[in-house]
Amino acid sequence: MGKTTRLNGESALNKVIEKILWCVLALLLLLFPLSFHNPYYEQLGSLVLLAAISASAWNLIGGYAGQVSVGNVVFFGAGAYLPLLIYKLWGISPLYGFPVGMLISVLIAVLIGIPTLRLSGHYFSMATIAVAELIRIVVSNWDFVGASVGLTGPAVAKNWSDLVFRSSVPYYYMFLSALVLILWITYQIERSRFGYYLRAIKSGERAARSLGVPVSRYKLYVFMISAAFTSLAGSLYAVKFGFIDPSSGFGLLISVNMIIVAALGGAGRLLGPLLGAVILIPLQAETNSLFGGRGTGLTYILYGAIIMLIARFEPGGLLRLWDLFADKYLSARSFK
Amino acid sequence: MTLLKAENVSKSFGGFQALKGASLSVNEGEIVGLIGPNGAGKSTFFNCLVGDMTPSSGTISFSGEEVSRLSPEHHARLGIGRTFQLPTTFEEMTLLENVMVGAFLRHPSLRQARQKATEVLHLTGMGDQIHLKAKTLGTPGRKRLEIARVLATEPRMMLLDEALAGLTPVEVQSAITLVKKIHQTGVTLVIVEHIMEVILNLTQRVLVLNQGEVIATGAPKDVVNDPLVIRAYLGASYARTAALGTTAIRGTAVGGTAVGAKPT
Repeated sequence: MGKTTRLNGESALNKVIEKILWCVLALLLLLFPLSFHNPYYEQLGSLVLLAAISASAWNLIGGYAGQVSVGNVVFFGAGAYLPLLIYKLWGISPLYGFPVGMLISVLIAVLIGIPTLRLSGHYFSMATIAVAELIRIVVSNWDFVGASVGLTGPAVAKNWSDLVFRSSVPYYYMFLSALVLILWITYQIERSRFGYYLRAIKSGERAARSLGVPVSRYKLYVFMISAAFTSLAGSLYAVKFGFIDPSSGFGLLISVNMIIVAALGGAGRLLGPLLGAVILIPLQAETNSLFGGRGTGLTYILYGAIIMLIARFEPGGLLRLWDLFADKYLSARSFK
Repeated sequence: MTLLKAENVSKSFGGFQALKGASLSVNEGEIVGLIGPNGAGKSTFFNCLVGDMTPSSGTISFSGEEVSRLSPEHHARLGIGRTFQLPTTFEEMTLLENVMVGAFLRHPSLRQARQKATEVLHLTGMGDQIHLKAKTLGTPGRKRLEIARVLATEPRMMLLDEALAGLTPVEVQSAITLVKKIHQTGVTLVIVEHIMEVILNLTQRVLVLNQGEVIATGAPKDVVNDPLVIRAYLGASYARTAALGTTAIRGTAVGGTAVGAKPT
């Protein structure tokens, strides 16, 4: 009885803390660009959100379902190319390319997913790398999509739907809306049967199957959802920069970036990718500007070091460290 | 009524034939034991019965429906539940969440699945630990959790793969009580076990496998005294000793390391 009361009290306190943290986070995100009237920080803020969107999209397949896809860049590229391709072909707003990119990405996910999701562990990752590289090479040599030169978007806006803004602030809020949408859907998935099944699949496919979980079907579903959101990230990237080429659309490092951002914050956790992006993107920006721009390569050294540290000390990422801290100090102080 | 029927099931891995025409019939409400020395083909047979492996030949039917080529998830949907020799609990999930994964099979809504899982956790004696993570449990707890998870799928038949191995004598007694309780709810059981105490205490019928073949079947007390079975477990010299009047394999465990008198 006493134990149950303590658990209930603990759970109520955790809920209050959680609500306060959500409010603080929402305020910080909403007010960030208004607090710094500085283009550098506005740009940085929008890049953080963009990284958080693509990492959150990867988090669904990689973090929740435990299928480490290195091929998500294919969807990012498709999402980035479609809006600009539509603009190039018909001169219409890149906005129309968003749903087309998402649809094509979902179709690609089905085509890639059916054969590769049968593979387990590293074999799945390797298969996705192979597919991603193959598509990058095809795009690099395909004149229809600009080959190695790439595509450009509208230089000057005819109207707002061209999504060309001088300041980064409109992009910031556009990205924030997309991030909120993805996080809300992820939250709904997390709390549903779908979410339980994904976590079970991540923990042990054989055991999940023995309990009646249609493992292959659910892996494919989550891969399709992840593909759609990654495509959205790609489309947002394309309209923000107004330019895309094979390396910025289909370069494997884009996938690596998604994985590291999610893993640093906490893969399989709702806010893990956002936390990872808040830390990693400013660090990346700083190292890129070090030594008068000659520090660009440092980013990759930093990535390598982060991968090693996460793998060695806390595969659950920073949010896992927070859990350990909260378990040890917050609960202990209040109830023990 | 026959619930599970396996006829002439064989399974080969390349040139090696692990199972040679094994047959088994389990009636509804029965508890059947499956024993045999190490390498006898028990696990292969077990994996064929639960859909983890497809037999090279032979048929397996459940409640009249042919299931030999169906997936494990299809087996679960039909009402065949199984546990694993090495517990495969979902480590980062709580006990409640682990069992809910099983409960979702018949109760798609979150509320109903939670209710079912809570019921099952209470039935299996873990009602006060539902918010603990599975990784905090020891071996007995994990084995119990596996049983709970399967129970939540509301199976008609449960196949337990050495569910009691590695437990202390006290834990074995408690697990035997649990298995009896499950049986009383109307679940048919097939038990693969090395601990003879369990086989003698729980099963109504035993099937003995050796080198991929069924060498004996019958009541547990008769089977453990069968010279063929004694020979399979302990060798020919032991079989002669047994023939002189000693009950050979009623020690604490079998499977290559029986506890009992040494052959003379």
